[in-house]
Amino acid sequence: MVHFEIKGLSFSYPNSEKKALDNINLTIKKGEYITICGRSGSGKTTLLKHLKKPITPSGKRTGEILFDGAPLEEMDLKTQASAIGYVMQNPDNQIVTDKVWHELAFGLESLGCDTNTIRLKVAEMASYFGIQDWFHKNVNELSGGQKQLLNLASIMAMQPQVLICDEPTSQLDPIAASDFLQTIKKINLELGTTIIMTEHRLEEVFHASDRVVVMEEGKIIACGEPKTVGEELKKQNNKMVAALPTPMQIYYGVGSSLQCPITVREGRSWLDDMLSDKKLKRDRLPEQDSQDINEQAPAIFAKELWYRYGKNDKDVLKGASVLVPKGSLYAIVGGNGTGKSTFLKSICGICRPYSGKVKIDGKNITKYKSEELFRNCLALLPQDPQSLFVKKTVREELLEMAAGQNQESDVMAMAEKCELTPLLDRHPYDISGGEQQRTALAKVLLAKPKILLMDEPTKGMDNFFKQEFARILKELKDITILMVSHDIEFCAKYADYVSMFFDGGIITTNTARRFFSGNSFYTTSANRMSRHMFANAVTEEDVIELCRENL
Amino acid sequence: MKFENYHPVINFIYFLFILLAVVTFNHPVYAMIAFITAFAYSIKLNGRRAVIFNLILIPCVFLYGLWYSFYNHFGITNIGKNFIGNNMTLESLCYGIVRGMMAAAFIMVFSGMLTVMSTDKVIYLVGRIFPKVSLFISIFLRSFSRVRDRCKKTNISRMGIGMGMRQGNIFHAIRNFFRIVSIVITWTLEDYIESAASMKCRGYTLKGRTAFSIYRFDNRDRSVVIMFSVGIIITLMAYALGQTNIMYDPEIIIYKPTIWAYFFYTIYAVLCLLPMMLELFNEAVYNRLSRCQ
Repeated sequence: MVHFEIKGLSFSYPNSEKKALDNINLTIKKGEYITICGRSGSGKTTLLKHLKKPITPSGKRTGEILFDGAPLEEMDLKTQASAIGYVMQNPDNQIVTDKVWHELAFGLESLGCDTNTIRLKVAEMASYFGIQDWFHKNVNELSGGQKQLLNLASIMAMQPQVLICDEPTSQLDPIAASDFLQTIKKINLELGTTIIMTEHRLEEVFHASDRVVVMEEGKIIACGEPKTVGEELKKQNNKMVAALPTPMQIYYGVGSSLQCPITVREGRSWLDDMLSDKKLKRDRLPEQDSQDINEQAPAIFAKELWYRYGKNDKDVLKGASVLVPKGSLYAIVGGNGTGKSTFLKSICGICRPYSGKVKIDGKNITKYKSEELFRNCLALLPQDPQSLFVKKTVREELLEMAAGQNQESDVMAMAEKCELTPLLDRHPYDISGGEQQRTALAKVLLAKPKILLMDEPTKGMDNFFKQEFARILKELKDITILMVSHDIEFCAKYADYVSMFFDGGIITTNTARRFFSGNSFYTTSANRMSRHMFANAVTEEDVIELCRENL
Repeated sequence: MKFENYHPVINFIYFLFILLAVVTFNHPVYAMIAFITAFAYSIKLNGRRAVIFNLILIPCVFLYGLWYSFYNHFGITNIGKNFIGNNMTLESLCYGIVRGMMAAAFIMVFSGMLTVMSTDKVIYLVGRIFPKVSLFISIFLRSFSRVRDRCKKTNISRMGIGMGMRQGNIFHAIRNFFRIVSIVITWTLEDYIESAASMKCRGYTLKGRTAFSIYRFDNRDRSVVIMFSVGIIITLMAYALGQTNIMYDPEIIIYKPTIWAYFFYTIYAVLCLLPMMLELFNEAVYNRLSRCQ
C-alpha cells in the first residue's frame, strides 16, 4: 500500500531563483521507515514541510503530493491534524502548555474529543512512553530528552498514521538521542506507523531504516536500502560518504569485496573475515611522544574547585581540577548533568566556587577585573548562538565586538577565516544552525581571547559543519581551547587532550588516542569496531590506515 | 484522603462560603467557633509554621479590640477613660474584640485556602467559566518560565564575552542590559513562530475545541456536596432567623440560647471543621488498616 506519493515536486521560495526542491519523485509505502539525509540546506526540511499542510511554506510550486491516493491539499484539516504527526527540531519550542498532562491532551482537545476519551488516550500514551512518573510535573522541570519524548507522545496521542520527524535529536545529548530513536523504532515496529525522518546521527538510524534517501541541492541523488545507498554514493564519489556510519566509511576507505557492514557488530565481523587469514604486520599506530601534561606551561590551572548553586543544594563540583597546557585543544567529555558546564563557568568566573583556586595565565582569577578578564584574555562560546545575536546583520554583529581603529579590516579578516564573507549582509536568524555557530565563534574570537572556552560547540551540527568548524579551530594555533562536549567522535579526531568528567570532578586525563583506546564503552565507533584487532585505532582514518598496511 | 484532593469546585465552594460567613456573622459564639475551627484547620494544613503564626494572632485580636474601643465610643456602659481622655465603653470593646476575632479567622482560613487552592485549580475553575482563558493562562505560564530561563542564559552568554549585565562601568552596564533585553525579545519572538507551527500542526485552528482537565467528579465528591449543602442551608436558615448576628449599639443584647441555637452552633462548627474531620477520619482508617497488616 502506498502512503505518500510525491510526483515531480519542485519548489522555490519567494524572491529566490534557486529551486529548493527540484523534481522530487518519491513513493513511501505504509509502515515504512524512511531516513532522509543530506547536508544542511539540501532541502530536507523543505520537503518534510510539504508533507504537512499547515506548515507548508509558500512559494512557487509544481508537481503533486498524494496521500492515500488523494491529493494532500484536498484533505480536510481535521483528518490531516490527526493522521500526520510532525515532530520538530527544538524540544522547547514545540511545547505549548505548562503541564505535562495538558500538553498530552492538547491535540485531542483540538480534535474536540470529550473528557473521557482524552483521559483514556492520555493514560495510554503516558503508560506506553513511560512518562507516568512525571505526568503532573511542570514542563520546565523536564530535561531536553524528556521534553522531546513528551512532544512525541503528545503527537502519538492523536494516533497518526505517519510520523514525520525533522532532526528530532539534534538538540539532545547522545543518550537521550538514542533513547528517542529507539522509541521511534518501537513505534514503527509495534504500531506500524510510517516514519519519515531527517537525521544527522546516521550511525543510529541507518540500520533501523528500510530505505535511505540522500538529497543534495534539492534533488534526490540516491535512494534505496541502506547498503545500496552507500554503494551509490561511493560510485558518484559524493562528499556525503563522510557522513555515513563509521563502519561504512571504513569499508569504503579500505575497499573490500565483502559485504558492506552497517553496524559496529557487522563491522567487527567484517574486519575478522578480511584479516582472518593474515598475520598482522602492525597492530598499533605510533604514539606521538608528548611532554607530560603537568610539565607544560599552563594556560588554565584550576585546583580543587567546589561549587553548588544554592546554599542547600548538592555540590555540583566536588574538587574538580584541571591543567590546560598553552596552545592545546583540550576536551572534557562526560555524561549529562555531571557538572561539565558548571566547571567551565567556574573557570571563567561566571560561577564562583566556594573553595579552590583558578589561575588564568598564571594569575589568580580573583586578581582580574571582570572587563580585563573578558577582553583579550578569556572568552566563552555559549551553547546557544542566538543568545549572542543583537543586530540586524552578521556584519553589524561582528562589528559590535571589534574595537579599535582597524575595526572593519579585523571584521573582514575574521569573516574570511570563519567563511562568513558571503553571509555578511544576512540576518543572523536567517542563516542555518551551523552558520550561526560560526558567526558566534567569529564574534567571540573578535574579543581576541588568548583562551577560548566552548560549551557543546558541535551541538546540532552535521558532519560537514563539524569538519569546517574543526578546521577553523586548528588554524587558531596561538589560542588555548578548552571545550566541554558530548561529541566523542569530534573530540577523538581533533582534541590534543581529553578528560573524563564524572560526579563533579575530572577522573582521568590523557592524549586523545590513549584516552579513547583505553576506554571500552565510552569511546568512538571506530575504536569499538577495531579494538579486537588493533591496539590504538581511534578514528576512521586510523582503522583505514592499519587495514591497508595489513592487507 | 486529603481535602485538597477533592474536586476543585468543592474546595472553592467551601472556602468561599466560610470566608463569607466569617466576615458576616458577628455573634460572639459564631465568631468564636470560626476562630477556633480556623485555628485548628490551618494548623492541620500548614503544621508548625501555622502554630507560630496563629499564636501571634491571639494578642493581636485583643490589641485590635483595645485600639477599636479607643476610637469608637458608642454604647452605654462606661468602663473608664483612656489616656487621651475619651470614654471607653464595654460595647465598643466587645465589638472590637469580636471584629478582631473575625479578622483573625479570615486570615487563617485564607492561609488554608492558599495551601489548598493551587494554581492548577484556579486555572481549572477559570476555565470552567471561560475555556479559552485557561488555555491562555497555561500558555502564558509556559512562556513566562521560558523567558526567565532565557534571560539567565543570555546574561551568561553575554558575560562570556565581557558584555554581561554587571560588567563594565555604569554606562556599559546599562547598554549591556538593554542589549540583553533586546536579544531575549528577538529570540522569544523567533521561537514563537515555531511554537505557533506546532500548535497548528496539532489542529489548534480547528473548530469545536474542548477543554480537558485531570479532575474527576466522583461519588466521594457528591457525598461531600450533600453534606456541604445541608450544612450551608441550615446555617443560612440560622442567618435568616437572625441567630448569627447581634446588636452592639447602643447596648449588647444576647438572648439566652434556645435548644435551636445550640443546634445551629453545632452545625456551623461541623461545617467549618468538615474538611479537617474528613482528613482525620481517613487518617484513622488508614492507621487502622496499616496496623492490621
